Amino acid sequence: MNGSDSIATRAIPEPVATRDEVLRYPPGDLALWIFILAELLVFGVFFAAYAFTRLNHVELFNTYQATLNRDAALINTLALLTSSYFVMRGVVAIRENDSRLCVRWLWAAIGMGAVFLVVKTVEYAHHFGEGISLSTNTFYMFYLSLTFFHFMHVILGMVILVAVALKAGRGGYSRTEHTGVESGASYWHMVDLVWLILFPLVYVMR
Amino acid sequence: MTTKPPTQPLIRPCTLVYLMLVTLTIVTWATARMGLSGLSLSLVVLGIALFKGHLLADWFMGLRFITGWWRWVIAVWLLLPGGLIALGFVLSYRG
Repeated sequence: MNGSDSIATRAIPEPVATRDEVLRYPPGDLALWIFILAELLVFGVFFAAYAFTRLNHVELFNTYQATLNRDAALINTLALLTSSYFVMRGVVAIRENDSRLCVRWLWAAIGMGAVFLVVKTVEYAHHFGEGISLSTNTFYMFYLSLTFFHFMHVILGMVILVAVALKAGRGGYSRTEHTGVESGASYWHMVDLVWLILFPLVYVMR
Repeated sequence: MTTKPPTQPLIRPCTLVYLMLVTLTIVTWATARMGLSGLSLSLVVLGIALFKGHLLADWFMGLRFITGWWRWVIAVWLLLPGGLIALGFVLSYRG
């Protein structure tokens, strides 16, 4: 080690966060980004509908929001955030031409996605066990439809990540060609992004 | 004479961003667990969520390296539903 190096520093490859290059388009396939924007538009309308429907049912929304499991929501938020971080590290790894490390990060992300699905399924089982359904009241109609719509996106995101991880495992991506990894990562980040708004809106704000 | 390899902090900036996102999430959860409510708190919680979304877009999606319209596409998305949600909550408190 060079004597002038600080103990707190060491030579490691450049991550995506410090790249100097400036690009005109986001990482991944541009067509997928159009799809992502369409998905975000739908979720945005859903969120606005929740907020304005709540205007006429404030007591009902506050009462039934209190029945939700916020600890489970915390675990799920942390699981999605962690999976997004893992996916981002996978993208950094393939940009550094390290396919094996990329695959490990991707499978770790898929594992965190599985944690989300298990926790959410347990929550749904609890609600359905209490006889709660879409027609129970307006709050549960929004809660169940919003979260289940997002749940389906988590499943789709995981299917995409599994396909990307399998291809990466076969050496299908490299430093120069990894659009598939970036596309899968962008979709997964979108799923996380939606949950970052959904979590406070449905579980916390009152 | 040898060229020194570029040095970098032991903890990557993106990891610090991840830790910040986790911290802000726990703060949001704690307000709910403490039973706190009210318009101001709701707007603060919403603001935290929008800030988290912007961090995710910039650092995880990599939009901070993009120029032009695409640089701000997620920020615009965050502000539109975010603004409508805020308006809905403000109106609900005004009766």
